[in-house]
Amino acid sequence: MCCSSSIERDKALMGAPEAFDISAVKGMKFFDPHVHMTSRTTDDYQAMADAGVVALIEPAFWLGQPRTGLDSFRDYYSSLIGWERFRSSQFGIKHYCTIGLNSREANNESLAEQVMEILPLFIYKEGVVGVGEIGFDDQTAAEEKYYRLQLQLAKEAGLPVQVHTPHRDKKKGTQRSMDIALEHGLDPYSVIIDHNNEETVKEVLDRGFWAAFTIYPFTKMGNERMVEIVKQYGAERIMVNSAADWGISDPLAVPKTAALMKMRGLSDQDIELVTYRNAITAFAQSGQLDEADFDAQKNVDLTEKFEGNTILRGGQQPRTDKSSIIIS
Amino acid sequence: MRDDHMKAVKEIIASTVKNNISVEAEKWLEDFIQSTDKSAQLAKVFVMLPRKTGKLPVAINNDQQEVLHAAGFGYIRNWTIDRLSRVWLLAGFDLGDKERLFSTINPLFLSAEVNEAVALYSALPFLAHPEIWVKRCAEGIRSNIGSVLEAIMENNPYPSENLDEAAWNQLVLKAFFTEKNINLIIGLDKRANLDLALTLIDYAKERWAAGRKVNPQLWRLVGKFINAEIFDNLKVGLQRYDQIEQRAIALAVSQSDYQPAKDYINTFPELKLALSEGNLNWDSF
Repeated sequence: MCCSSSIERDKALMGAPEAFDISAVKGMKFFDPHVHMTSRTTDDYQAMADAGVVALIEPAFWLGQPRTGLDSFRDYYSSLIGWERFRSSQFGIKHYCTIGLNSREANNESLAEQVMEILPLFIYKEGVVGVGEIGFDDQTAAEEKYYRLQLQLAKEAGLPVQVHTPHRDKKKGTQRSMDIALEHGLDPYSVIIDHNNEETVKEVLDRGFWAAFTIYPFTKMGNERMVEIVKQYGAERIMVNSAADWGISDPLAVPKTAALMKMRGLSDQDIELVTYRNAITAFAQSGQLDEADFDAQKNVDLTEKFEGNTILRGGQQPRTDKSSIIIS
Repeated sequence: MRDDHMKAVKEIIASTVKNNISVEAEKWLEDFIQSTDKSAQLAKVFVMLPRKTGKLPVAINNDQQEVLHAAGFGYIRNWTIDRLSRVWLLAGFDLGDKERLFSTINPLFLSAEVNEAVALYSALPFLAHPEIWVKRCAEGIRSNIGSVLEAIMENNPYPSENLDEAAWNQLVLKAFFTEKNINLIIGLDKRANLDLALTLIDYAKERWAAGRKVNPQLWRLVGKFINAEIFDNLKVGLQRYDQIEQRAIALAVSQSDYQPAKDYINTFPELKLALSEGNLNWDSF
């Protein structure tokens, strides 16, 4: 095919592998407001902590394949608030989450009905900073129905909403997501529209919503393009995330983008806003997010256990020496 | 047309299955077919089948290949025997009562691993009561597994014959997104529509904004619907100096009735020449 963006083609353009040089942003703190840690390894937590990520938000999403029963939703939501939060704490990273029924699985209406019934049990839990990620995937009537119901739920709960915009037919899907949120009387300042690009950003900002950008290899947004967007639109109401998940993605996307912004001459203040402060401002509207908690989280107690379990296996040391060639 | 051929196609599939499996496997399948509780046994037989049939590519004789080709099922020659046998198994499974059929086969989708899912979606054109599988097919398009998507999108007559417009447009759009072979989508030109054309143009603009190329086949679905607004976007594409994109847009314009666009193409000597030589067609991209 003429224009494949497959890994094979891009490899040639990627050049030789090079270690990420964090020195440009050494000492800065980062907040990744959208990352699916359930799909990531402890090495990722370690690398994120080393690169300055002090807190993150894990939005509820799908697992790459549809769930077939209510219990797997219940267990998944529980793990976001339970085991995953604990795992993150073991690396000094404060873990928050947003809870919602994702758009793809909204199409299984009989299951979606059951999920709606248990959502209130989860969205009011401590550390749940929003309803998300919800919105459209292929923009069906069922997706719209459950998007609306969840917006209503968020409104009643006084929680921010994290909106996933569709990969396909993005521009219309983004406009429609915003129209519907306004129809339900949500304040655009409480709605974070995610996965923006050059074609959507202006309208999202003009209408008063938060515009989040996902730095994701090969598909969503590249961080060079991200730098240009901040240069053009400024740093107000813009935030950057990795959305790292089970796909080819980079959990260091936020600090890497900050480093690139620094190298391309953006001010420290703007970098701080888009890679840290704005996300805190937006999600703190939940009343569940306090920056002071990040510091408390830094004091890692590796002797802690979660329901009797630890991330350490028999005799393991808490960290491996990444500079050593020997893996023992 | 397809219906006339369907009986012959099913017969060829049946004989191909028999010719490509061992005597032992044939007996195992025969026992299943003769059994009185087929519904109850289907799931187990469906899942277990590759253990009995193996997974080699099928061999089909030339005469049969010709019949399959004429009926639009020539692609079956590239299947493995487990896939063909599974499709054959499902194709012959008509309980008469469509609710019973649905409640027997639908659970297979829910627990399917990749090869099973590929076989299930490949079987859609052969299943009785095509209308009851529409939602299942639309759900399959939401998959992110390449081979499953290919089984639905490529060489499969079911989607274009049965999906509603929204699901069809989603299939085409996702095929572009996931870099499937657009040429293999059956019914592509027949089901082109304005909504899809406008969505694809938005997609092209996103690609341009990201500095990425646009699959030239995209313009094939736009040609019929060119109007003043679409023309403005085509001009942007033509000014990008990517020769392949330019040629595809020129070909799309040549297939439209919108005169201002045709006049504009004629201001590009290279494109005018390519069109007049008559060498451009959608298979060339």
